Amino acid sequence: MTAPNHLLREGLTAMIHSARPLLAALSMGAALLAAACQPGQADDGVRIAYVSNGVDPFWDVAAAGARAAEAEFGVDVEVVFPSPATAEVQRQKVQDLLVRGINAVAISPVDAENMTPFLDTLTEKVHLITHDSDAPKSKRRCFIGVDNYEAGRACGELLVEALPDGGEVAIFVGRLEQDNARLRRQGVIDALLGRPADASRSDAVDAALSGNGFTIVATRTDDFDAARAKSNVEDTLVKYPELAGVAGLFAYNAPACVEALKGAGRLGTVAIASFDEQDATLDGIAAGHVLGTVSQNPFQYGYESVRILKALCEGDESVLPEGGILSTPPTVVKKDNLEAFRAKLKADIASGSGK
Amino acid sequence: MTNSSGASLAQPDAGSRLAGWGKVLGIFGLLVAIVVTTGAMNPRFFGAENLENVLQRTALFGIIGIGAAFPIVTAGIDLSIGSVIALVATCLPPLLDAGVPAGPAVIAVLLLAAGLGLIHGLLITRLGLQPFVVTLCGLLVYRGVARYIVDDQTVGFGDSYDGLRTLATGRPFSIGALDVPAPALVLLAVAVLAAIFLGRSVWGRWMLALGRNPTAARYAGVPVERVTILAYVICSLLAGVGGVLFALDVNSVQPASMGNFYELYAIAAAVLGGCSLRGGEGSILGVVLGAAVMRLLYNSIVLLGIPSQLEFAIVGGVLLLGAIADEVVRRLAEARRARERARARTERTT
Repeated sequence: MTAPNHLLREGLTAMIHSARPLLAALSMGAALLAAACQPGQADDGVRIAYVSNGVDPFWDVAAAGARAAEAEFGVDVEVVFPSPATAEVQRQKVQDLLVRGINAVAISPVDAENMTPFLDTLTEKVHLITHDSDAPKSKRRCFIGVDNYEAGRACGELLVEALPDGGEVAIFVGRLEQDNARLRRQGVIDALLGRPADASRSDAVDAALSGNGFTIVATRTDDFDAARAKSNVEDTLVKYPELAGVAGLFAYNAPACVEALKGAGRLGTVAIASFDEQDATLDGIAAGHVLGTVSQNPFQYGYESVRILKALCEGDESVLPEGGILSTPPTVVKKDNLEAFRAKLKADIASGSGK
Repeated sequence: MTNSSGASLAQPDAGSRLAGWGKVLGIFGLLVAIVVTTGAMNPRFFGAENLENVLQRTALFGIIGIGAAFPIVTAGIDLSIGSVIALVATCLPPLLDAGVPAGPAVIAVLLLAAGLGLIHGLLITRLGLQPFVVTLCGLLVYRGVARYIVDDQTVGFGDSYDGLRTLATGRPFSIGALDVPAPALVLLAVAVLAAIFLGRSVWGRWMLALGRNPTAARYAGVPVERVTILAYVICSLLAGVGGVLFALDVNSVQPASMGNFYELYAIAAAVLGGCSLRGGEGSILGVVLGAAVMRLLYNSIVLLGIPSQLEFAIVGGVLLLGAIADEVVRRLAEARRARERARARTERTT
């Protein structure tokens, strides 16, 4: 509890210090500018903000990576989970962090398209990179993340492998506004229909899609409400009694599928392909209820973000990846590599909880 | 409990009692319309599995809806329901993991919920704060506390508490092919108790009287403060019951998102079911029907293959149409009654 107080005090000192000669009406704006333009005033060290796009166990693993790098590279890392996860809240959090004297930001923009102008103004004050979800049109220095289209294809391949005769498949996801959700969905669909890889393809939600023996019967969103996620699956099971497989694109979707199928007494008759590494998903893989899951290695997101930003703050541009994109390879976790994956996940989280 | 003035004070006149039943009939009509439309377009709607699903969800949302009705009846409001659900749901798995037996753990979190309601009631009556303000702050505080307690981690019961989970996932008996979900029995018990309390007990009538006219109620000797406090305790307690059942049902509690906006679903169920936000009016049967209408709408959207994006538009649109139809029918009936009265008068004079 001492660290936040310490930071708060420094932030306040910086604000008061820089605002003293100015009129009261201008003091807030001046403090903002002063703190942002002279990040070294309160502290000479590198101070990095690591901003997620919401609250999720996924981000806990990513935060552990950022913490591990914080200890290793001797920098100060502020981890921020905006809630509710909207573009506006994310923006306010970053603005507040600027006041507190941050000199580098890694962010997963909630709304890449519309946040681009804001991100561009940020690049004038701090070193900025994106992670997890990109804002390709902004002036961010680089993007760290999995290729979500390829990750989606890997998820789809799990179903193709388990269902050689094809069948009806439904897709469940929190929301489709995010780049990563769209790309994952497209990847799953393209893999199922046996299409050649093309990340720029975009199928409408209500389009009738079939091929390669598979039919995509529905894509249902739940706005991050786990109870809704479960009821979406239940209702889809009623509407499509022949349903052969489901793909859960966000971390909690596959666990919701497991619960819904268990309730309907159809566990084992419908194949489940998953994303991310929630405990319930990994338990489902162990029990044979879930085919497998596509992990994005969130630990690497946090670790690499801090590593690259630290170097940028010290003027070292050589860390920037080719083409501005550092792709972390997705890991497909199935029963055979489950134990090894769990052990590594545990070790990763432990290495980040030192602080 | 022998204060007859309180009881007589709350006796609604025949006309308003009729209007109350009219509202219940209105929401029942809307329910039938949705059932018939969905069933006609997708006969699987009437399958046992789907009816069980709808029953289960109606039960969960009905319980919190009945809770929401009590402050509304006193012309107050409780905006903290969703956050109470989140806090209760978040506290339960860690308590169990700490080795507390299931029974005492559930009772402990329910007492916590009731305690929060008591705090709301005391702040509203003793300090004279507005219910909106008190419970809005509750909404923020409990969400924050829930997130802090488990450090934003998702908590759940894993496979360890299947016995306790039958409270939410169990199907204790069947009616024909329909396995009745356990929460439906909880709802039935809660609804019967609430209806008897509100319609037959002195305290319930005091509550209605207080909602109609607080000054008159006070002069008539109604213990206004205690009645108000009780309304908020009941609301939070039922939110707690809902929180336990939601957590056991979904088996995954994300403190940042669990129960978000559920206060609006609860309040909507209460208002749809005939509770006036001005207070003094309320029907428990109506609230249950209101909750059922909301869940049926979400259910039929999936069964009819309507895209998720249109969901809120459909739900809002249908509810608005229902409200308009209800009002139009009420006005037509009123006009007809007025005409009949006028005719009777002219017949008498001639």
